[in-house]
Amino acid sequence: MLVMGEVHTGLLQNSGEIPESTCRDVLQLLSGERVRVSRRPIVYAVSPDLLTGVDCRLPSASQSRIRGAGTVLSRSSITGGRVVQGSSHTRIERSGSDRRQPWSHYLARPGVVEALGKAKPRDLADGFAEEPSADGLDLGAISARFMDVVQSSPLLDRRAPFKIARTRLRWVAEPGEPAIHFTLHSDQMRTVRLVHTGEFTPAVVDLCEDLALHDWLLTALLVIIERARIGGTPGPEAAAKLAPAVDHLLHLWMPSARVDDLLSPYWESLDRRPGFTRQWQSLVDRVRDQLAVHTLAFLREKSGGGAR
Amino acid sequence: MTSVNATFGEVAAERRIASAPLSHVSIELGHLYMEDFEAGPERLREQFRRVAPWAGTVRSSWQDRIPGGRARVSTCFLIDDYFSKFSTPAELVPMVLDAAADCDLTIDYIARESACAESDGIELARLVEDRLVNDPPPDTNGSRPPVKESGWLCNGARSPQVGTVQAMGKANRWAPPLQNAKRGHSIFVDVELWDENGGKRTWSCPFLAAVWQLLRLGLLRTDGRLPLRPVMREDAFPDDWESLPAVMQLNPAAAPFSAYTTLSVLSPRFLPVELAVRTILSQVAVDGDVLKQVVARSGGEGIRLEEELVDRISYVFT
Repeated sequence: MLVMGEVHTGLLQNSGEIPESTCRDVLQLLSGERVRVSRRPIVYAVSPDLLTGVDCRLPSASQSRIRGAGTVLSRSSITGGRVVQGSSHTRIERSGSDRRQPWSHYLARPGVVEALGKAKPRDLADGFAEEPSADGLDLGAISARFMDVVQSSPLLDRRAPFKIARTRLRWVAEPGEPAIHFTLHSDQMRTVRLVHTGEFTPAVVDLCEDLALHDWLLTALLVIIERARIGGTPGPEAAAKLAPAVDHLLHLWMPSARVDDLLSPYWESLDRRPGFTRQWQSLVDRVRDQLAVHTLAFLREKSGGGAR
Repeated sequence: MTSVNATFGEVAAERRIASAPLSHVSIELGHLYMEDFEAGPERLREQFRRVAPWAGTVRSSWQDRIPGGRARVSTCFLIDDYFSKFSTPAELVPMVLDAAADCDLTIDYIARESACAESDGIELARLVEDRLVNDPPPDTNGSRPPVKESGWLCNGARSPQVGTVQAMGKANRWAPPLQNAKRGHSIFVDVELWDENGGKRTWSCPFLAAVWQLLRLGLLRTDGRLPLRPVMREDAFPDDWESLPAVMQLNPAAAPFSAYTTLSVLSPRFLPVELAVRTILSQVAVDGDVLKQVVARSGGEGIRLEEELVDRISYVFT
């Protein structure tokens, strides 16, 4: 029927970026299962998929009481040794019966939650995109735990170079005429409504995680620039506040790096409007210009006006 | 210039899952404890005499099902060397084989129970424990981590603890435990998976039996590889259990050890153990890719396997 997910993204709680080998150790969440790592064009490490069992109300815009039972698939990942994500999703399917089945039935369909009773895909999707009810399916809490398990690893020094809030991206994917709607809600909350042709594939999850990653990068850079109060504070102070961006963020922008070719048009259309890369580029230019101006001022000062 | 289609792959980023050779059915001819062996060869013969007709029936029903009657049927026998060690393989294995032969049974594979806990440095029991996904009681919405009683696994919601005091000072009254997905009334099962004494963990018999079923169904992998492969027998059997391979192939012409389905012919005294085994297996999440692999393989042979792995396991209690 439809697939819903939630991705949490944040800065890894460590002073510097961590090497690939540490990424592997931190993400080793399941014995006998390898952490997958890709190195091109950026180091990306992802934990094995883990399941969480649920039996609860499903989201519904019309407030219908629809029970769902099954499992949620989750994973943790680290990009560039610096950005951590906790991601969960589940495919909602109609149940063949209106009774709760023995648990073995659900474990034979990993990552599927079956809706018992009459569920309408549009109603579920609308309900999920809004703030879900307190007793309803809570993918956010599951994703948060998959982020926390990384952040609380004893292998991290918990001295992040700057403070920045996590962002949450909640997404729903349905089959139909291709479309994507990205909505910025509050400071931390985003939603993506995605319509794909043909069957759902895990590539959609990769796309949503990639969108969440880049949206977080953009948010983080905006916050750093805002905190620097360019023009309102003395040049050296502003420059010092911008430095973490150069040290930790600027090299991480790799839109669509892990996105399936078939889905890259979704990224491209978002990049045309609102234009994520355009905004990123202008912010990066701003940071670099500021640092260049500051460097020039510093050099001028050093030469002590002797050239006058 | 024409466009070029580039592909780029990274081995460390891909998942590879080995496939297990599979029979149609794996028949367990018996599961005996040391006290049974102590009772001598006559007790063994008695067991095998009871088992033989059932094993024959299952073999022929699979032969009827498979075109050309080419059913792959393998037999196995599990020896408990985990809870008590008795005698030596050199003394005991030939006794088992002789008793089986007396009843026209061939034992293709012999396995050690302690291998279900650990074998060649691979902790199979831990591997399975890590893959338990608890059966959630109603109103489990993911907002809190799953409730787990360390070392125990149940099929529903436990009774609230009697005598504990709630926030408003009211003592909890007894309430019944509830089975999830019950039919009318509950059959609540709570299984002890292990206990620990002085830091040493002992796995329970049902837990090791669950690992044993998963091995026989060919559903376990470690880093994508098969956790253990049967080792062909040598002329002489060793004098200590540790030197005996985890699973030893006795019959060179045997069909593969693992199979699409399993049958265990057991004494009725194992009924509670097997209820516990099913409670555990109902909550083991087998890797999705492995499940697909087995379904594709069986489908290729025109066999429709049961979706739920507990339905691929059958018993005769005799």
